[in-house]
Amino acid sequence: MNIKRIVVLLSLIVAASLVLSACGGGATAANHLEAVKQAGVIKVGTSADYPPFESVDASGNKVGFDIDLMAEIAKRLGVKLEWVDMPFDSLIAAVQEGKLDASISAFNYDADRDEKIDFSDAYYTSEDAFTVADGFTGEIVNPEDVADLKVCVQTGTTQDSWLTDNLVATGKLPEENLFRYDRVDQAMLDLKNGRVDVMMSDYVPAKALADQLGGLRIVYQGVLSSGPMNIVIPNGDAELQQAINEIIKQLQDEGFIDNLAVKYFAE
Amino acid sequence: MFSTFFSYIIQGTAITIAVTLVALPFGLMLGLAMALIHTYGGNILNRIAAAFSLLLRGVPPIVLLFILYFMLSSKSFNLSPFWAGSFSLGIVSSAYQMEILRGALLAVGNGQMTAARAVGMSRVQAVQHIILPQALRLAIPPWSNEVSIVLKDSSLVYALGVPEILRRAQQLSATTQQPFLAYGTAALIYFVLVFATNRALDYLSERTKLPTHS
Repeated sequence: MNIKRIVVLLSLIVAASLVLSACGGGATAANHLEAVKQAGVIKVGTSADYPPFESVDASGNKVGFDIDLMAEIAKRLGVKLEWVDMPFDSLIAAVQEGKLDASISAFNYDADRDEKIDFSDAYYTSEDAFTVADGFTGEIVNPEDVADLKVCVQTGTTQDSWLTDNLVATGKLPEENLFRYDRVDQAMLDLKNGRVDVMMSDYVPAKALADQLGGLRIVYQGVLSSGPMNIVIPNGDAELQQAINEIIKQLQDEGFIDNLAVKYFAE
Repeated sequence: MFSTFFSYIIQGTAITIAVTLVALPFGLMLGLAMALIHTYGGNILNRIAAAFSLLLRGVPPIVLLFILYFMLSSKSFNLSPFWAGSFSLGIVSSAYQMEILRGALLAVGNGQMTAARAVGMSRVQAVQHIILPQALRLAIPPWSNEVSIVLKDSSLVYALGVPEILRRAQQLSATTQQPFLAYGTAALIYFVLVFATNRALDYLSERTKLPTHS
C-alpha cells in the first residue's frame, strides 16, 4: 500500500462520514403540509431576543406573544412544535433553503421579502416608534426630521429598509449616520449611552425596553414601515399557507389573539 | 434568579464542547491527509493540497460557515445546524492543522527517511514508523494553540442557530438588559475551557517527549 492509496482511503472516509451525517428525511409526501403532518412535527424558527414577542425566561424556556401563538397553531395543525432559535437576519434564508418549515419572529410584510418567501395572513398589526434618551432636546414632528440626527436600527428589519429607502437613498440621511445593530436591545443601550440620538423600531418592544431600562421616551408612534405581522412560510407553499391562515382566522374570531395582546402588551 | 441564568449559559458549554469535539478530529484527519499529500504526494497532488490550504486560510470562518450552510445545502442534503457548523469549522481548521503538521513532518530531518530506506523500509513504512511518531510529538505545542482557536471559533455557529454559550448569553442579555453579566459569564466559561485544555495538552506534550528531544 503506497502513500497515494492511504490518501485516497482517508479522503473516502472523510467523504463517507459527510454523506452519512447528511442522510435522513427524504419522505415522499404530496406537498409540504403533508410532509409536516407525516413527520408529526413542524420546525419553526424564531429569534428569541425580542421581548415581548419572543425571548427566553430564567429557566431558558421560550416565552412571548409569538411563542404562545405558534404553540396554539401547531396544536391545531395536530403536530408537535420544534423551535429553532437563530439570529433574526438568518431566519428568512433558513426558510428559503428548507431548513425550517416556517418562521415567526414579529415579521412585517415587505415586498422584497415576499419575493423570497411567502407570508401568512396578518395576526397582529404593529406600529413604528422613534425612541430617544430623556436628555434629548430636539424635536421630531415628522418622521423625516430624524435625517439630521444619528439614527440606530436593527439590521434586516422593515425599519432598516424604510430608513435606507426613504432617507439614505434620497441623500437626506448620510450613510455614516445610520447605525445598524444585530439586536434591538443593543441599539437601545447605545441610545441610552448617548452614542446615537434616536432609534427606529417596532412600537411594542420599544415600549417594553424603554420601561425596563428607564431614561428613555418614545417621541413618535405611527405606521411607517411596519403594519401587519405575518408568519413566514416557504415560497409557493399554498397548502401550509392556507392551513395556517384558517387557524389564524379561528384564533382571531375566538378572541385568542386579543387575549395574548392583553397578556403581553397590556393593551 | 442569577443562578438559573448562569445554569442556562452553562448548558451551552456542552454544545460548545460537542462542536469542538466534532470539528477538531475531523479537521485533524483532513489536515493530516493534506499534510501527507503536500509533503509526499508528488507534483500534482502537492499543488492541490497547497491550493486547498491557501484558499481556506484566506476566507474568514464565518463566511465559509454561511456558504456551507445556506448555499451548498439543498432539500436532499439537509445538514442540521449543529453538523453543518461543526463540519465547516473542521474544514477551516483542517487547513491550519495541515500547516502545523506539515511543519512538523519537515522538522523531522531528511536523514531519518534516508536511514529508514537504507534498512529496507518502504516509504510508507518509514513515514508510519519513523517520521509520524516524531512529527506528531513535535506538533503538540503548536496544535494546542489551534485547539484553543477552534474552541473559541465554535462561538461562530451561533449564527446558524446552534444554542451554544454565546447565543445563550445574547438571549439573556436581551431578557435581563445586563450585557456585562451575560457576556462576562460567557467569557469566563471560554477562558476556563481554553485554560484547561491547554494545560492538559502541555502535560501530554511533556509525557510523550522523546529523550532525544530535550
